[in-house]
Amino acid sequence: MKKTKVLIISLMLMAMVIGFAQAQITGSEVMEKVYNRPTGPDIQSTLTMTLTNSRGSTRVREIKQFIKQFGDDEKKVMFFVAPSDVKNTSFMSWSYGDGQDDDMWIYLPALKKTKRISSSSKSDYFMGSDFTYDDLGERHPSLDIHTILREETVNGEDCYVIESVSKDSDYFYARTITWVVKDEWFGMKREFYDEDDEFLKILTLNEYKKVNGYWVIPEMEMYNEQKDHTTLMQLDDIKIGDGIKDSQFTERMMERGIR
Amino acid sequence: MNNKKLLVLSWLIIVFIAVLTGVFVTAIKSNTRMETDLDKYMPQKHPAFIYSNEAEDLFGIKDGIIVAIENKDGIYNEGTLQKVKDLTKEIQAMEGIEKSDVTSLYTADNIVGSEYGMEVNAFYKRVPSTEAKLQQLRDDVRANDMIYGRLVSLNENVTIIIAEINDDTFTDKFYSRILAVGESYEGPETIYVAGVPIVEGELGKLAPKDMARMAPLVSIIIVFVLLLILRSFKGTILNLLVVILSTIWTFGLMAVLNIPIYSVSTMIPVMLIAIGVADGIHLFSYMELYLQNNPDATKVDAIKDMLKHLWKPVVMTSITTAVGFTSLVTSQVYPVKYFGLFTAFGVISAMFFALILIPAGLMIFGLPKPKQFKTKKSSTGSFAFKFADKIAAKKGITILIAAFVIAVSLFGISRVWINSSFLVNFEDDSAIVRTDAFINENFGGTSSFNVILEADKNDVFKDPDVLKLVDNLQNDMESLPMVGDSFSLADFIRRINMVMNEDREEFNTIPDSTEMIAQYLLLYEMSGDPENLNAVVDYDYKTLNLTAKMKSDDSRTINSAIDVIEEYRVEFEDMGIEINFAGTGYKGLVFSNLILKGQISSLFLSILVIIILVSLMFKNFIIGLIAAVPILITTLVNFGAMGLLNVALGPTTALISSIAVGIGIDYAIHFIDRYKEYSIETGNKNETARLTMYNTGRAVMFNAVVVIAGFLVLLFSVFPPNRQLGALVSLNMFSSFAGTLTIMFLLLYLSNIYFREEENNEKNKSTYY
Repeated sequence: MKKTKVLIISLMLMAMVIGFAQAQITGSEVMEKVYNRPTGPDIQSTLTMTLTNSRGSTRVREIKQFIKQFGDDEKKVMFFVAPSDVKNTSFMSWSYGDGQDDDMWIYLPALKKTKRISSSSKSDYFMGSDFTYDDLGERHPSLDIHTILREETVNGEDCYVIESVSKDSDYFYARTITWVVKDEWFGMKREFYDEDDEFLKILTLNEYKKVNGYWVIPEMEMYNEQKDHTTLMQLDDIKIGDGIKDSQFTERMMERGIR
Repeated sequence: MNNKKLLVLSWLIIVFIAVLTGVFVTAIKSNTRMETDLDKYMPQKHPAFIYSNEAEDLFGIKDGIIVAIENKDGIYNEGTLQKVKDLTKEIQAMEGIEKSDVTSLYTADNIVGSEYGMEVNAFYKRVPSTEAKLQQLRDDVRANDMIYGRLVSLNENVTIIIAEINDDTFTDKFYSRILAVGESYEGPETIYVAGVPIVEGELGKLAPKDMARMAPLVSIIIVFVLLLILRSFKGTILNLLVVILSTIWTFGLMAVLNIPIYSVSTMIPVMLIAIGVADGIHLFSYMELYLQNNPDATKVDAIKDMLKHLWKPVVMTSITTAVGFTSLVTSQVYPVKYFGLFTAFGVISAMFFALILIPAGLMIFGLPKPKQFKTKKSSTGSFAFKFADKIAAKKGITILIAAFVIAVSLFGISRVWINSSFLVNFEDDSAIVRTDAFINENFGGTSSFNVILEADKNDVFKDPDVLKLVDNLQNDMESLPMVGDSFSLADFIRRINMVMNEDREEFNTIPDSTEMIAQYLLLYEMSGDPENLNAVVDYDYKTLNLTAKMKSDDSRTINSAIDVIEEYRVEFEDMGIEINFAGTGYKGLVFSNLILKGQISSLFLSILVIIILVSLMFKNFIIGLIAAVPILITTLVNFGAMGLLNVALGPTTALISSIAVGIGIDYAIHFIDRYKEYSIETGNKNETARLTMYNTGRAVMFNAVVVIAGFLVLLFSVFPPNRQLGALVSLNMFSSFAGTLTIMFLLLYLSNIYFREEENNEKNKSTYY
């Protein structure tokens, strides 16, 4: 009896300690975990990007994309499938873990030339969407100051609500607020505030699932409130760890297009 | 009714009028507002306006304020570039301006070819300080014809910041602030602020300011001349009260009905002065002659006689005039409708005051004191008689002169042109005109005009043949001397094509395949600011916006551009593309045409209605026709003079011709009515002519002299539209006066309507006077 009591009390204490430790996790640690969440060695999918402007007009683009990790670096190549007038236009980017600027190329089949694109502004919007180049990658956590604002349940998942304020006052987002799913470490939604700290846009996940043990997001939506413009990104035929050849990420392959 | 009762009644009338006037004054004080938003003037349901407004919305077409920074030593130095940056940021931060609507060298995108392919960069973020960097910036600008000549002048001494603003942004406060902001950046650079909103703003300020300065002068002169003519304080005051009270009631009613004051509403007092003064002058003039002939008549007798003889013509003139103005409701333009209706109301109130307030006032305060009539009478009398005789005797000359005047007027009318320009309202050497000229000299132009091309299906504007045609159209438009430059999707494509081909000039063209264009556009979306495309093409590549910059906002310029565009209509139609127009300048043109069409058609309508009314009143159709003569002559002379003196027709100048209706018919009816009465009284044609000329002719002349004297003062205004107003009103008064007393009189005399027996003529000529 006594023993049991001691056991119970020590278990409770342990739980408290663990709970305390758990509660003590910092905003930076959460964002580190998000940044370091494994995404798989490679992923290929068909991306359908639907842009909707304030008048309800839409542009739909279908893209076949390949992404592969090369250590800390990531290489990505995309081929346009539709609309037909840009078919086989391809885009490749190499981003580097050491913070060096991305390298980007575009191949225009009509011009039959591959051109480098300057990566001077990560604040540029990706193909007229509401995602900047920066939004599509993960920003290194050390660039912001992170604070846990509160904890909240979103879509039935317990989340940390993290405010990330940019250390660089010239950065195009003054701050973002991210809802990070506890223990899974992916963002469920994120609000973006512009340089003047005015609400700019919100990213929400419509669907998320595990493929081969990795979290993937088959459908997400970015709504830019200031422009009343929406981008819906849908992923189909997702394959993770299928083994994409290194040679896929070359100018030669860009120019060859997809069959 | 005995005198006492009449006196009590008079007091009651005065109290009643005073109370009602008080009510209207309170209404004016609490509920009057000026409508300065020009869009509110436009008939929003007109198809051209609906289309333009939709296109403006689709492409974010807005009026631009242009701030020019001039440095006579060139703009490529640290100080000036710093100012461009600071001023850009300060304007972006202004309330009511969207950050992205401000364009300057600091914010502009530089599409360049590089070793990589295409880059879209800023020209500068940090202000360049070294000589090398400044030189680099200069080279960058020179190499980019989307910027060079558009944001930086070719002589490199001037650069502009364009701030597009929403329609509702422009207020007095905003205007003062943007001027103050510009001024704070002066030295050594010179700062100019121009653009359509600035011109409108300046106009909105200057017009009332000048009126506020000139109106008292006009009033003083009118009072002074009235005093001279009536030779009586009481008469002058009563006469003025008629004008003032009818104006107050009119604006009071507008306030009560919650109708704002539009710029054309300022013409209402002008009409009421010209018309309101007439009733009183006729009454007093008649009474003066009555007292002259009946020196012993009592106050009551004199008033009774005056009313007995004059209530009818006063009512007739007022009703016909009011009906004439009411015909303006056929106009599609609301301010003009209101102008017509409320002037009609004002005319009826003036009639009411003339027939009620003047007698009541005379009952209470007594008759004007008769002064040395003797000498006056003989001179005016004999002059009037001689004049009547001469006109009757020298019919040929009168008719010849009238015919000549009509011929010259018709020639003038053929040269009349419509102008919807705002800038034309300013002095040629005014700061605003000089600024405008300065910017037009160095850049494409201060006014813009939008051509909207709408296809019947999506993606048409990725078609190279279509874009090449657009490009040709732009070249043709730019060859016009008054069109500075133009901008469309074609410019983007040409620029991208060139930079993607190592900056070679031979690639400054539209490529030959749809795929190429589509891929360039995708490339631009990936490396530039895709928002920029929203201003030139819609999301579906189905509607295209071509913006032309013009060096003048006048209708001739816009029309010359439209003529060029129309030549392309068939070709575009073959491609399934419809051409339409949009923008402030175009709306202004449509608006002016509408006003003018409305004004012309309502003039005809009112003349027709007046002929019928007068025919019914006098129970004679010929009289109706004769009564229309002064209106016709006045109208012809008015428009003829405008053509000859190169005064363009605009919303306000067009309305001045209404005065012909108001005054012309007044004179005609008074004259004919008196003529008719004297014909019954004397039964002698020459005697009738002489007496009518003496009695009514005198009143008509007094009326004309009073109003002409008053409005001639406006010739000293510093505001050209007010000078035109003064000249045209005076001219109209004069031609109404001259037309009535010469050609109309002659026609009446020759018509023999009130004389059955022709033979009286010869006999009487010798026996009278």
